[in-house]
Amino acid sequence: MKILIVEDERRLGNFIKKGLSERSYTATWVPTCREARDALCETGYDAIILDLGLPDGDGLDLLKEWRHSGFNEPVLILSARDAVEDRIKGLDVGADDYLAKPFSLEELLARVRSLLRRQSAVKDTVLEHRHIRMDLLGRTVTAKGTPVDLTSREFALLEIFLQNPGRILPRTLIAEKVWESHYDIDGNLLDVYMSKLRTKFDVTTDRPLFKTVRGVGYQMLP
Amino acid sequence: MRSIGTRLALLYAGVSTATMVCLFVAGYYLLNSHLVHGLDLLNAAEFEQIKAELGPEYENLSVEKIQQRTHSAVEVASVFFYVEIHAKRNGVLFASSNLAGHRLPDIPGKHVFTVTADGIGELRVGEFILGPMDVMIGTSYRQVGVVMEGYTETSLILVCLMLVASVIMGLVLSRAAMRPVRLIQETANHIRSDNLSERIPVGAVHDEISNLARLLNEMFDRLELSFNQIRRFTAEASHELKTPLSLVRLQAEKLLVEGGLTPSQEEAVQMQLEEITRLNKIIEELLFLSRAEAQAVRLDFRRENPRVFLQSFELDARALAEHRGMSFTATIEGDGAVDFDSKWLRQVLLNLLQNAINVSPPGGRIRLTSVFMVDVWRVSLEDQGPGVPAEQRERIFDRFVRLEAAATNEVKGSGLGLAISRSIIGLHHGVIRAEAGSGAMGLRVVFELPIGDTKSADQSAKALAAGLKPSEPVLQPD
Repeated sequence: MKILIVEDERRLGNFIKKGLSERSYTATWVPTCREARDALCETGYDAIILDLGLPDGDGLDLLKEWRHSGFNEPVLILSARDAVEDRIKGLDVGADDYLAKPFSLEELLARVRSLLRRQSAVKDTVLEHRHIRMDLLGRTVTAKGTPVDLTSREFALLEIFLQNPGRILPRTLIAEKVWESHYDIDGNLLDVYMSKLRTKFDVTTDRPLFKTVRGVGYQMLP
Repeated sequence: MRSIGTRLALLYAGVSTATMVCLFVAGYYLLNSHLVHGLDLLNAAEFEQIKAELGPEYENLSVEKIQQRTHSAVEVASVFFYVEIHAKRNGVLFASSNLAGHRLPDIPGKHVFTVTADGIGELRVGEFILGPMDVMIGTSYRQVGVVMEGYTETSLILVCLMLVASVIMGLVLSRAAMRPVRLIQETANHIRSDNLSERIPVGAVHDEISNLARLLNEMFDRLELSFNQIRRFTAEASHELKTPLSLVRLQAEKLLVEGGLTPSQEEAVQMQLEEITRLNKIIEELLFLSRAEAQAVRLDFRRENPRVFLQSFELDARALAEHRGMSFTATIEGDGAVDFDSKWLRQVLLNLLQNAINVSPPGGRIRLTSVFMVDVWRVSLEDQGPGVPAEQRERIFDRFVRLEAAATNEVKGSGLGLAISRSIIGLHHGVIRAEAGSGAMGLRVVFELPIGDTKSADQSAKALAAGLKPSEPVLQPD
């Protein structure tokens, strides 16, 4: 998988490049719009991580240009601008995801993975993990065959974990999916729901189902 | 009168009519004195004729002679003149027949006067001395009266016409004069935060109006500049603060991932990460406040019944409250349509709930009430905490204000939650305030949003629909 990083801050660009390389992606880092254009002309990429405030132009213009010329690979915008408008604007121009600075590397990686997977995603109607089985059509969940009663929020939360088994899910990503919130959900709403899920499922197994990744989010253990 | 144009027109009409009235009045007196002077001259001419008829020896003439001679002189013009001749001592020597036995009244000490004689009417009388005799000659004043009456009538008609004409002219003139002002008004009205680059067209001529337009344009220049500065500042501040923050965070995470830290070192790094998150939140909230103040926040207004929205919030609020051992109840009364942005309003409710949870005692009850009043939708959230003294209730909506009671609490907030809530409610054209709780303790925070289909909310919705073009600053009109 080849990924292009367009980020004007050298150290940040290198950091991301290194992080991606360690996960066996092939990453290229360029600091300007001009170099980004050149890089894309030379070779194809599977995904692009794009910063907006570039020294020789706005990343949004670059993205518009690409979308206009038929470049359809996923683009993740990485920006310091975290206003809702900026987010909407970015997604409107054709970005596939939007990650605000400061971010965690885990979160970036999670989002890149989900972007690459989106390309070939076939949605199952039944999700299974360990002893848990979720029927998306029937809206039912069973643990070891026994039905588990979940509220709509708990159901949505569990669904995200079942779709990303074993992966660390950043808090913001979960909030976006379950609460459709762009704003980092306040207080410990997510923690409250996670503890509810834990109470409901940890009694059904001897191994804990969820792991808290401090400062990042949660992970459903394999 | 609300229009300067109408006021100007009326002023113009008033002044021009008043001028005309003054002219007519002056004309009246001039004409009158002119005509009276004419009568005096006629009287004098008649006297000369009588004098000529009496001859040079008038002093020695007998009474009969005088009567005879005067008679022949006077009767020819008896239509015009009334003549009476007195001797200094002997009384009336002669009275013309048209006096018909009446006397010409005399005003002692005056030689020329206007007087009303019984049975004859108003007369202009001239008194002439001819040796021992007093010759009084009167002419009817009627003609003067008729002329002056005609003059007055004509004047009044002209003044009325003038009044009508000047009102019309005034309106036309003031419209012409106000046209550039209206043009300025239209343009200025049009210029809002989303099209601040527009300017009022200024003509080539240098007059008061174009100077005003220039001044306004200069003001718009400054306004645009400061708007842009705020926009730039928020963009730059975001970038300049967050890029280094990203690096700090990534480095800290790297330490954790690479391992090899002692538990206490790991704890320190974790705390760093948490503080970075908190710092980021404060930056985010400060930027939001500054953009909200500059009217640079766009809300996605939808007109809907808030019931569903509140029920969804109730779900999360109950979970949060119960997690901390408190209870949460929501009373949702009435239905109606309100313009609001559910994401931001949810943020307000979450902020209020967080505060309530932070101050409530264990087992405390937090109550949300939603009611529809005549023209507002009122939502209140009440806790059973220690409450806030009346004099500090307004202050809690200021930035970074933390009351002692809350400061002792372990939960760390940014201190911006209520300020942000007030901003968001303000963007909804609503109000938010704190009140004493219904019990002995507690605080109730109430916000009210207008139910009416606010025009500005519509405009915002339109701005949203039209404003999603990229790379163009989209702002919300106030």
